[in-house]
Amino acid sequence: MLQLKNVDVCYGSFKALNNISMTVDTGELVVLLGANGAGKSSLFNAISGLNKPSAGDVEFEDRRLNGLKPNAIVSGGVVQCAEGRKLFPHMSVLQNLMLGAYVHRRDRAGNKQRLNEVLELFPILEDKAQQPAGSLSGGQQQMVAIGRAMMSRPRLLMLDEPSLGLAPLVVKQMFEIIKQINSLGTTVLLAEQNAFAALKIADRAYVMENGQLVMEGDQETMLGNEQVRRAYIGA
Amino acid sequence: MNLFFQQIINGLTLGSIYGLVALGLTLVYGILHIPNFAHGALYMVGAFMSYFLMMDLGVHYWVAMAGSAAIVAILAVLCERLVFHPLRNSPPIHDKIAAIGILLFLEALVQMFWGADFRRLSSPFTGILNFDGLIIPEQRLLIIVGAFVLVAALQLFLRKTMIGATIIAMAQSRDGAFLVGIDANRVAMMTFAISGVLAAIAATLYAPINLVYPAMGHLVIMKAFVIIILGGMGSIPGAIAGGMIIGFAEAFGGFYISTAYKDIIAFGLLVVILSVRPQGLFAKGAH
Ligand SMILES: Nc1ncnc2c1ncn2[C@@H]1O[C@H](COP(=O)(O)OP(=O)(O)OP(=O)(O)O)[C@@H](O)[C@H]1O
Ligand SMILES: [Mg+2]
Repeated sequence: MLQLKNVDVCYGSFKALNNISMTVDTGELVVLLGANGAGKSSLFNAISGLNKPSAGDVEFEDRRLNGLKPNAIVSGGVVQCAEGRKLFPHMSVLQNLMLGAYVHRRDRAGNKQRLNEVLELFPILEDKAQQPAGSLSGGQQQMVAIGRAMMSRPRLLMLDEPSLGLAPLVVKQMFEIIKQINSLGTTVLLAEQNAFAALKIADRAYVMENGQLVMEGDQETMLGNEQVRRAYIGA
Repeated sequence: MNLFFQQIINGLTLGSIYGLVALGLTLVYGILHIPNFAHGALYMVGAFMSYFLMMDLGVHYWVAMAGSAAIVAILAVLCERLVFHPLRNSPPIHDKIAAIGILLFLEALVQMFWGADFRRLSSPFTGILNFDGLIIPEQRLLIIVGAFVLVAALQLFLRKTMIGATIIAMAQSRDGAFLVGIDANRVAMMTFAISGVLAAIAATLYAPINLVYPAMGHLVIMKAFVIIILGGMGSIPGAIAGGMIIGFAEAFGGFYISTAYKDIIAFGLLVVILSVRPQGLFAKGAH
């Protein structure tokens, strides 16, 4: 479904991503592990068209994404829920969600149905629908961010550190919901530092260090891998 | 009493015009972070376009206003496409230099066609309304009502339409707007078009009680900048409130202190208010 071939990303003279090749297949939940500054967000932004790869190819369903504008990529079904949420803080929760449906704005009936599905995933947002998104708790804001991304009807949903800054109990709930989104049919690429919890819901995982992919494997292999355990799980 | 009422009318008139000009300026700044020094030139071109349409083509005042709004909207979009858009990744100083370039270019262009003379735009609203001794010239009433209607229409547009929502979204989170697939170019063009419409209508409303000449935008744009700094850069309510504050201060200051100093009052107020509230009256993003 998603295929990266030898992708490089540079910020000025600094090479943040170096020769990245990876695939995500339809229906999978793939985790991208990496410490701070490894390059996870840079990779997501390159896929989303927010920064331009200086070399290599990004393909989605056999269509080249690099060179396309961010809005064309969202319309194409690749949607990112970014680190730091990037909500519209003074708009209501409902407006935030509906802006998620921006690229499908002509299909009102479809959006309404989609909104109901999203509210089923996050029932608490129904009570908060009219409040400014910026006034919600961190966990609730993360739900709005994921909900907004779901309103874009992604076929590939990229989640960039959705557990960042959340209480352990909320993190657990967040991962359960991500698993649920995946089992309902959305392919998920999840960037995380919370390796153990992420691997528990993953089909496969990649490990990124200093802008390079250094390891790849299925859930079992990764959970059992000594290096991964030491570096990311601390056990 | 009557003189006092007269000053209120004057304050509302000035405040309406300043508010409309500042509104366009603050929208462009809030969404695109461009301090558009050329906004005053758009205002000036708006007055000349109405003058041209009325005097040379003989159309009615309202038609001239609509035509001028359309022309200046297109001109503003052209500025965005041809000048600001290509500079979007350059250091911010380039925007400012380019804006001054547009300002000088438009002034020279208008002067080439019409000369530097002062002209008068006539309006069909020359009467004076007398409410039991309280006197309001029709044109001033039109300015106040017109500004009110425009601000209300703009609010409706921004809050009730999808295009309006994309503009507000872009102002609140640029990254968020990209993530949901909002096309930045469309928002930029729409914002410039709105600012052009507001400037042209403000100029056409105000010109009949003032004069039309190529340098007419200078003082207006300086005051509009004072207003959006006062009101909080990018804030819509700030632009309206700031416009009214400056309008009233000038009307009353001009009357009770001296008309000779009335143009200094805006800048004096700026110093006073910023020393108390450095972030402006309304923080940015308070849409
Ligand atoms: N806009 C930028 N300009 C310059 N350097 C950048 C920029 N964005 C990221 N970098 C650098 O690129 C590297 C990778 O950053 P990136 O944000 O992709 O890492 P990350 O894996 O997402 O980290 P984190 O877990 O902290 O979010 C870092 O060294 C960072 O300093
Ligand atoms: Mg990151």
